[in-house]
Amino acid sequence: MRRTVFSAAALACTAVLASAVPAFADDPTPVAEATATPSVSPAPTDSPEPAPAEEGSTGGVSVVPSGAPDTGAAPESAQSGAEAGLIGGGATAVLAAGGAAVFLVRRRRATGA
Amino acid sequence: MTSLSRRAFVTAATASLLVGCGGGDRTGRATPERRESTSPSSRPPAKATRALGRSVPVGLEIPAIGVDTPVMQLGLARDRTVQVPPLTADDVAGWYRHSPTPGRLGPSVILGHVTVGVHGDGVFRHLTRLRRSDRIVARLENGTAAVFAVDSIRTVAKADFPTDAVYGNVDRPELRLITCGGPRTGEEYRDNVIVFAALSSASP
Repeated sequence: MRRTVFSAAALACTAVLASAVPAFADDPTPVAEATATPSVSPAPTDSPEPAPAEEGSTGGVSVVPSGAPDTGAAPESAQSGAEAGLIGGGATAVLAAGGAAVFLVRRRRATGA
Repeated sequence: MTSLSRRAFVTAATASLLVGCGGGDRTGRATPERRESTSPSSRPPAKATRALGRSVPVGLEIPAIGVDTPVMQLGLARDRTVQVPPLTADDVAGWYRHSPTPGRLGPSVILGHVTVGVHGDGVFRHLTRLRRSDRIVARLENGTAAVFAVDSIRTVAKADFPTDAVYGNVDRPELRLITCGGPRTGEEYRDNVIVFAALSSASP
């Protein structure tokens, strides 16, 4: 009986893991994309800005940008923290599913169903 | 519930707790950065060093915080915000090319990252450590250099970015150094750190 219980639990855990692994495997892609913000392109051709006007004798800025500059992308530790949270959530789900499977099999055996 | 089931549940619950506690997102933590003086009012007398001729900046030195970087040119992004330097390991500063060149009359604007994603610290990581009168040297393409002295450092919410104070006309050669700062939400910094400086001398 005990072997049956362990076999059922192992089968359940394997099934859950198999379905969860592809989700983990995709993690690096969005991180890599997140570091390449569209506003960082230094190529002048990317921006529909006016002809490069040199500042005049008035001593001012010829074209005033709108908004605030985005001069900071979160460092590695912050990004890996988010990844760790995701992986932790997945692992929790896997363990919970395994425990539930063991419980159900045990209960069925006990009731003789 | 049999003893085996109980053991299975206890094991699963303990493992869940351990895994859940280990994977928190730390991006919301407050940085130790403090808000600097918010008043650029402590200007030295307007009678300052004579303005220099036009020459684009090619390098920037800030000895007090160990900055010595090339300077690239930046324009406008598609959304009309100012471009910023690319996120690379060898992070550099960038001069906004619609602002006066350093040493010319008006506010010359130079931007740099505080952090550059997976590459770690940006070239302006320690901008908040600057103090009044610290020296900033802009090396120019014609071989001369414009030397500035820090007037003030402001940390302001991005939502309240002081456009006039940064880009508005002034009656002497000035410099603005801009980066991000303050607490972070996800990948976004809440604030901008702006250094206001005035031309103090020029070297041939």
